[in-house]
Parts: sequence; structure tokens; C-alpha cells
Amino acid sequence: MSMSKSRVESRESRAGRRALFCLLPSAFCLLFIGCGVRSDMQDQPRYDAYEKSEFFSDNRASRNIPEGTVARGHLKENKALHTGKIDNPNANLQVETATDATGNTLVSSFPNDIDEFPVPVTMELVNRGQDRYNIYCIVCHGPVGNGDGMIVRRGFPQPPTYHDDRLRNAPVGHFFDVMTNGWGKMNSYADKLSAVDRWAVVAYIRTLQISQNPSGTTAMNANTAANTMPPVGTSNSNTSGGAR
Amino acid sequence: MVMAAILAGTAFFVYTQVARSSYLTGRYLERQQPVQFSHKHHAGDDGIDCRYCHSTVETTASAGMPSTQTCMNCHSQIWADSPYLEPVRESFRENKPIEWERVHDLPEYAYFNHSIHVAKGVGCSTCHGQIDNMPAVYQENTLQMEWCLACHREPEKFIRPKTEIYNMQWQDGDLNAEERKVLYDNYKIRQAEILTSCSTCHR
Repeated sequence: MSMSKSRVESRESRAGRRALFCLLPSAFCLLFIGCGVRSDMQDQPRYDAYEKSEFFSDNRASRNIPEGTVARGHLKENKALHTGKIDNPNANLQVETATDATGNTLVSSFPNDIDEFPVPVTMELVNRGQDRYNIYCIVCHGPVGNGDGMIVRRGFPQPPTYHDDRLRNAPVGHFFDVMTNGWGKMNSYADKLSAVDRWAVVAYIRTLQISQNPSGTTAMNANTAANTMPPVGTSNSNTSGGAR
Repeated sequence: MVMAAILAGTAFFVYTQVARSSYLTGRYLERQQPVQFSHKHHAGDDGIDCRYCHSTVETTASAGMPSTQTCMNCHSQIWADSPYLEPVRESFRENKPIEWERVHDLPEYAYFNHSIHVAKGVGCSTCHGQIDNMPAVYQENTLQMEWCLACHREPEKFIRPKTEIYNMQWQDGDLNAEERKVLYDNYKIRQAEILTSCSTCHR
């Protein structure tokens, strides 16, 4: 290193040194320009997520899936899993609704909703449900599902509580249907929660219901998948404590 | 020669300082957005989880920008008549996305994926700062390669438990060195040689 340096130095003439002296500032000027201006490498001819496109008329680089196409792995074959509805609904049995004091339209009969989870209810599923609930649902429905979330305190119309006989006895498919298609003032959350995640949230809602009404546990178990509910019940002492 | 060396050294120092300055990195510069959206209000005061809007942060490279429907989940009911939110309602009515100003813009020769970072214990505020205190969001860090490498060389100094990833109040001092080592092992983070390999980020 020092050898080569001294060799270079010895070879440098006075004029060369002066040239170097002049070159240095101009080299730095070039570097500054290099930093200030975005080069081709930094903005490559491809689209990032959400990038604006001049090619498409609506300026969106992210395109919608063409109508009638199914993305690989997104065929909704399993009706119970993706809709929460029974296979052969009785056309004579319509959903009955009632209006409560706060103006919410409440479903009072659930003829077409499935009553058993289409996925195995495990501890992992309930934990996943708690995780998702505390992101997407807690804002309105509140930590235990009383309907007193922060957004409700800011003026959003209060949703019904989970802790009354109507919703304690509602089949699991009803909760899934509301998350999937929305109900009343609530929009669909199907874009935020996958089908399995929505079932996980249903499992967690059941857990919340048990946590607020421990003596009713047996009736609830009979109403849902009896053999799969006990893990949910046992988890309630851990999860509800954290949620509160 | 000595003069030249001093001058070169000074020039190099000035160059590095300017290169790291917010003039060239965009650091600390608040961006004006088409809607006066406040993260301080939504994430701070209301306590809405980051993932309510940035819902793909756990699964994809992009953290995800909320669709206008996400805004309307609440604002169809509250502040529904506010003139400040007219651009949101217009976007919803006319099915045209809101054109937000990008705040964090990595050069495209750098590969970055949000999902692996949140899965391996890097919290939002580690890179983005205390977003819940920013009425208008600005870039907290330089996003320069030296800044990326500072963590890729010693990730154990920056990671946190899985439950605290979205906690804006988390401080790096909340864990001691041993707890960090345990975390590092549990996350199965690869060794620094792999994390600092060229092709990890330049693919």
C-alpha cells in the first residue's frame, strides 16, 4: 500500500499534482449531482405496489382481477367454510329481524346459518382469533364485546352486545356472515380477514361470551360443536383476563 | 501535499455530512397529503392497531395502504359531513383511489419485505419512529445502506418480543442483553454473514 503510494507520488510531477488539486472539487461536484438526481437504477421501469401508472386509464398499476376469473387456490368450493351457510336452505324460512331501541336492525332467527365450525376449534385458532379481534373488531365492539369500543365512544352508532341470549344462542354461521358481508352500519371485513381468520374470530367471540357468562357454558357447548368446545372453555380464563 | 490531504479530508467530511443530511435523504420532512390524515389521532389517541389499515404487513412485502372503504368503515358514520373528508368521500363515490404522497421511498435496487421484518421481531417504531406522535408522517431514519446494515450486523440489539411489534411505546432498553440473546435464538435469525451478504438486499 505505502509502496505503491510512494511510487505514485514519485511519478507525480508538479503539474500533475496541480491537476489533481483541480480535479478533486469537480469530482465532489459530480458526486453531489449523483446523489441529488434519481438515476435509472433507483427508479426502474417496473411498478411497485400502489405505484401510479400512466398506461392504464384509471392510473392504477394494481389491477383488479378480471371478472369471472378465479385465482389459483382461491376457489371457494367449501360452502360452509366460505359463507357460513347451510347447503340446502329452506326457501320458506326467511331471516326475521327486529329493531332495537338504538335503531339497530337485529336478526332474531337464523334459519340458514351453520351451527358447527367448519374448521377444528383449537387453542391456536382461538389465539389467532383473539389476535385478529384485537385489531379489527375491538375498535367498535370493545375489548369484551359489549359494543363500547373507542370508535363508539367517538360517536359511531353502538353495535349490539355479544352478551345477550339472542347472540349467545345465535349459530356460529351468523357471526361469520356478518363479518363476510357486513350488517347494518358495519362494512364487510372479508378483505382484511381470510375465511379461516374469520372463523378464528368467531371462536374468540364464543370465548368472550363464555367469559362473561360462565354459568351458561354448558348450554353454549351444546349449541355449538360439543366435542370441540372444551378447549375454548378452558382458554377463557387466560384470554379474557388479557382482553379486559 | 499536506494541504491537499487536509482539503481532501475536509471535503470528504463535508460530502458525507451532506450525503446524510435530510436535504438528500428526505429525513424529518413532513409530507403534505391530499387528506389531512393524522396518525397521531388515529394510532395515538384512538389506539387503532397499525394493521387495521396496513393489513398486509404480516404477509407481503408492502405493508399495505388502506382502501378508501377502510376509511369509510368509520367515516360513513362519524365526521361523515366534515369538509376535510370530502376527498375521501369523493374517492369512494367515484371509485378512484386517493393519491397519497409517498413518505418512505427505497431505491428500487434494494429488496425490502415488511413481512419478514415483523415476523423476526423488528417493530414498526424501530424503523418508522413514533408514528403515533406524528400528525403528519415524516421519515424518521435516513434509509441509507449504512442504516440498514447497522441492524443487519447486530439484529439482537434491535429486536423485541412478538407481542410488542406494534407497540409504539416500546423502548430498546426494555430488554437486557441476555433476554435479547434468547429472543434472537427463538426467532432463528440467521447469522450476520448471511444478513449482510450483498444478495440478501440486492437481488
